[in-house]
Amino acid sequence: MQAELLDKFRQIVGKEYVLDQFEDRYCYTYDASSISVGKTGTPALVVRPANVGEVSLIMKLANEFKIPIIPRGAGTNVSGGTVSRADAVVMVLDRMNKIILIDTKNLVAELEPGVVTADFQSEVEKLGLFYPPDPASRGYSTMGGNVAECAGGPRGAKYGVTRDYVLGLEVVLATGEIIKTGSRTMKSVAGYDLTRLIVGSEGTLAIVTKIIVKLIPLPEGKKTMLAIFDDLYKASETVAQVFMAGVVPTTLELLDNIYIRNIEDYVHIGLPVDAEAVLLIEVDGYMECLDRQIELVSKICLEQGAVKIQVAKTPQEAEELWVARRSAFASVSKVRPTIIGEDATVPRDKIPDVVKQIREIAEKYKIIIAVLGHAGDGNLHATILTDERDKEEMVRVEKAIGEILHASLAAGGTLTGEHGIGRMKSKYLGLEVGQDGLNLMKTIKRALDPNNILNPGQMLGE
Amino acid sequence: MEWDELEKEVVRCIKCGSCQTVCPIFKEIRSEASVARGKVNLIKAVIHGDVEANENFAERMSWCLNCKACVTNCPSGVKVDQLVLQARRKLVEDKGLPFTKKMILRLGLRNRWLFDIGMKMGALTQGMMFRTLENGRGMLPRLPMGLDYRRLIMPVSDKPLRTRYPETIVAEGAVKKVALFTGCMVNYINPAIGEAVIKILVNNKISIVIPANQHCCGTPAFANGDIPTAVELAKATVDHFADLDVDAVLIVCGSCGCALQSEYRDLLKDEPAYSEKVERLSKKVVDFTVFMAEIGLKGVLHPVDKVVTYHESCHLTRGQGVKSQPRQLMNSIPGIQISEMKDPGRCCGAAGSFSLSHYELSMKINQHKVKDIAATNATTLVTGCPSCIMHIKDGLNQGGYDTEVLHIAELIAKAYD
Repeated sequence: MQAELLDKFRQIVGKEYVLDQFEDRYCYTYDASSISVGKTGTPALVVRPANVGEVSLIMKLANEFKIPIIPRGAGTNVSGGTVSRADAVVMVLDRMNKIILIDTKNLVAELEPGVVTADFQSEVEKLGLFYPPDPASRGYSTMGGNVAECAGGPRGAKYGVTRDYVLGLEVVLATGEIIKTGSRTMKSVAGYDLTRLIVGSEGTLAIVTKIIVKLIPLPEGKKTMLAIFDDLYKASETVAQVFMAGVVPTTLELLDNIYIRNIEDYVHIGLPVDAEAVLLIEVDGYMECLDRQIELVSKICLEQGAVKIQVAKTPQEAEELWVARRSAFASVSKVRPTIIGEDATVPRDKIPDVVKQIREIAEKYKIIIAVLGHAGDGNLHATILTDERDKEEMVRVEKAIGEILHASLAAGGTLTGEHGIGRMKSKYLGLEVGQDGLNLMKTIKRALDPNNILNPGQMLGE
Repeated sequence: MEWDELEKEVVRCIKCGSCQTVCPIFKEIRSEASVARGKVNLIKAVIHGDVEANENFAERMSWCLNCKACVTNCPSGVKVDQLVLQARRKLVEDKGLPFTKKMILRLGLRNRWLFDIGMKMGALTQGMMFRTLENGRGMLPRLPMGLDYRRLIMPVSDKPLRTRYPETIVAEGAVKKVALFTGCMVNYINPAIGEAVIKILVNNKISIVIPANQHCCGTPAFANGDIPTAVELAKATVDHFADLDVDAVLIVCGSCGCALQSEYRDLLKDEPAYSEKVERLSKKVVDFTVFMAEIGLKGVLHPVDKVVTYHESCHLTRGQGVKSQPRQLMNSIPGIQISEMKDPGRCCGAAGSFSLSHYELSMKINQHKVKDIAATNATTLVTGCPSCIMHIKDGLNQGGYDTEVLHIAELIAKAYD
């Protein structure tokens, strides 16, 4: 970067919050996706602003000199959404990490984008409140990133995703203006719903500098059970049946045999290694209603052909089951070194069909695809176990992903439930939204970001 | 793990970023290059020729405490600690050691007699260079000599542990016999820990062998990438201990324990003459607290009325999985009350020579530990590693706290007073 420009960035955020050494900048060429752009994609600079004023000055400067800006939280997205490019400045918002207020009377909270999701959750839970979205990365992902990606998680089945909790935002536009969207009230229909436009926009429309979320009361208790099946198809058919019976579980996770075997191998808690599939189900609510929900779900599972039901009797037993679930990725990473977590999502009643097709696709391309889905909301995480060093296999993997996406769309589903389009899926976006839909998105992007400096190349592919 | 085998390990990093929650260095520096994910990807970049193994790379590889928090936390179990150590090794092989490190590691550590003389000189002359604190906690530098003026240093003992005892101490009515690996910190700086260990063992009817020619375990060389020195020291240790007719080889330092128990296997794997000896030794090597917890404290235990909090040294808790045994021992002594601190396994920032080369940073990390200790109602901090003791004492002193700092052996020995 030219010395003059570098100086300007230093003046805005302070010298110690600018990284200009190559080795430091290189570490922003990747995120938690499988994309790494390496030396040729190393950003020109990394800056860490402290407040909305600095963010605004950075955007004005960037807009004047047409420098691409890549906003970044903890770099934990899995869509390539924060991967750098050579001419860009990466703007890390980790220093803006204050919880501004938790309003227990109105059940809302206001916070800065750099707050780590799990830290925020534990603060509100101390007050008996609940912020449900629980992406697997919540221990280290930031709220700003969660808003940009509209993060979900296993609890989505009952509680929805990030978008369902964001009431309003403060954002800095590409041209540097600071605007407020939405309101702190539960109802607000004043003008276009810009909040919803920005949630999930993957850093392409504005920089989020403040977030207003709604909170709900923390459920009194929860209960966990495992339903064991000798048939993956039967297990996946059960998912819709549970909801049809009027029970909405907090989470309903589907694990196939590949996962069951590897997890058991890894944590030794007595999972049924012969089972073709298990459903890991959690219900929550008032203490009095927990057993009732578990009974209902058990009954449905048995009717659908479950060979065994196992209800966790103590919190420790429940925790063991969740430890098993959380160690899923670790356990399969021993099978092959590279893990690609797919994110296509389908209506619940289409899960059995699509799971069957995924099996066929795996066979066709001779690759290993395991299934571990947030089945409760149709979010099938087909997991491809491969090796990035095997170029020939990676070609087959790419083809298989394309077929899985086509199958999901054909079933009335979506390309991505919670990971985002990013760089990973930008070439597929037109398949889902159509050419006219894509054109409209591009028009919106140009209106908000005339010089195309906000995370260019992401999502819309240009 | 050799440099050319590293690629297999680096590709296992799925770049999830979960190491951001546990890396003590990242919490201070906040640059992606300082977290495990960044370091692993820089190593990968060097392997692929994207980044040069130059001074900047070396500096980033020095940003690691080898505290293993990321390794335990990693969902894919990437051995980040070994990757960083291999990177340091490669840097030393390609570029050589910096002068100071070369003098200390190659000349000092490799020659036990010279090291002994150096330590003796230190004990004689330290009064000129340092002023002793009245509270008996340690010394502060008088002169500018590359050490921070605020830094609390523990004096070199004028009588190292191994000169205080014969090679064999026979306990009356002995039921077991053990060998004691003293480690440098205990032998030269803090012999009181060794004395406490011996007192406890004798009271438990256990005879002790303290091989007089034992020397450094090699960790400082290993951690700084000086593998030839580490190999030489490992061989010497194996030679002194593997063939002793004892029930166990006791260690009183987390880092020495890791070295003798597991790291020697890797270090000496190209030395076929040693493979069988290393295995034999590693089976006998055990941390002092693990050994004592297994047999249980015998004899009359006097009450020790103290409220203590226990710091888990990285190389004990994650390096060797020693967590419950120290607490079990303390609970078996009447009067001791344990007041647990938040996150007792969080690194104190010492990391051996790291606190010499990166003092400012190591003290920033240390401040979190000091805060967590102060938040308990304990008046004594207990731990199992002499290096942590020195660093935590320094932090408590600078923070204005008068918390007593003891090695767990020193605490247990009080029950036999």
